[in-house]
Amino acid sequence: MKARDDQAFSYLYDHYSGSLFSIILQIVKSPEVAADVLQEVFINIWRKIESFDPLRGRLFTWMLNISRNASIDMLRSKGYMNSRKNQEITDNVYGSDQVTQTNIDGIGLTKFLGKLKPEQRILIELAYLKGYTHEEIAQIEDIPLGTVKTRIRNALLQLRVYLK
Amino acid sequence: MTPQEYILSGIVESYVLGLASPEDCAEFELMCDAHQEVRAARNAFELELEQSLLQQKMQPPRALKSRIFSEIGMEKDEQPPLIISGKPILIPRKGFARYVAAASLILLLGSVLLNLYLLNQYKRSIAQYKELAATQTQIAGDNQIRQTKLETYENALGHMKSPLMAIVKMPGAPSSPAPSSMATVYWNTESKEVYLLVNQLPMPVKDKQYQLWAIVDGRPVDAGIFDMDKDLSFVKLKTIPKAEAFAITLEKKGGSITPNMDAMYVMGKVTG
Repeated sequence: MKARDDQAFSYLYDHYSGSLFSIILQIVKSPEVAADVLQEVFINIWRKIESFDPLRGRLFTWMLNISRNASIDMLRSKGYMNSRKNQEITDNVYGSDQVTQTNIDGIGLTKFLGKLKPEQRILIELAYLKGYTHEEIAQIEDIPLGTVKTRIRNALLQLRVYLK
Repeated sequence: MTPQEYILSGIVESYVLGLASPEDCAEFELMCDAHQEVRAARNAFELELEQSLLQQKMQPPRALKSRIFSEIGMEKDEQPPLIISGKPILIPRKGFARYVAAASLILLLGSVLLNLYLLNQYKRSIAQYKELAATQTQIAGDNQIRQTKLETYENALGHMKSPLMAIVKMPGAPSSPAPSSMATVYWNTESKEVYLLVNQLPMPVKDKQYQLWAIVDGRPVDAGIFDMDKDLSFVKLKTIPKAEAFAITLEKKGGSITPNMDAMYVMGKVTG
């Protein structure tokens, strides 16, 4: 893969694009936007494969984090915010919430998140799906920073039980 | 905190999912390096996560793959690929390593050549230095000799210039074996010291030496022997209180008590 072999990259795409698309979709919500992000993610994987360090973790973990970071960057980009604003207007016009929104509650990470206690779930959503820092979450939720860290860690440990 | 407690603290999950702070990440990586069990725990969670999420796929748009590959293809075209049997093979990494290897070899070779060059320069400099040092020693030696000669000349000249000196010229005697011979006695009228300047005398044979005689009351008195091997034959001989004339004969080495009259080369009378 590091030698940028076309076949290997094709295999990588076939094998992982579905899972990564699922994660991206759960962050950016819109399939169109998620497709753009996934394209950017695979091009980044192609470009940055040299910086992948097998000693620091598995390839999937590396790609997963690239996907999540790209999704959160998209979430915060001006273009995305404008498109969401337009989306809201459209939603209001047609009085529907489901025009382009895909129902993702039953799939992927969200499926596992749903099993968490609400106070744990909100922390993971803010941290993992919205990309807020522990400090920001402490402000939003008005709880001490140390508590945020502890609760997130406990929530993750709980989430892991559900992953199995 | 033991590695076990550390593993169970939730750091593994935070790190893998990208939710740990930079400080926690740095600490976790150090713990991974230090403790095999932390590394194993990380790997175990990564596998679980991967297996779980691989079952949660959503199909991205079908056209996306070709879009990605065409964009990558354009990027590849920007770098010159090696085409072998129609299949593009990129060699950025290996090629780069090869370039680096080649560059290091060239640098190494360059360094070796430079060192050889510098070594030669050094050897040449050392040789030049030795040569110069030898020349310098020789010049110093020559200078010493000239200095000595100069002193001799100055000394001689000083005596010759002295107004106290009586000058006795001794031309070749009528019966001289070398009639064109000539010598001069400088006789200090006060201290009575006698100096001899050889103007012209043939070189004596090996076992002979010239001897100066003072003629006192008609009888020859030994005034000293002298050699001819010096550049300037201006030599101080014996002090003679009183004399009417001076003469030089060739005697056996070491001098004689009475002169060999057959071998009288020069003679001159004291005037005034």
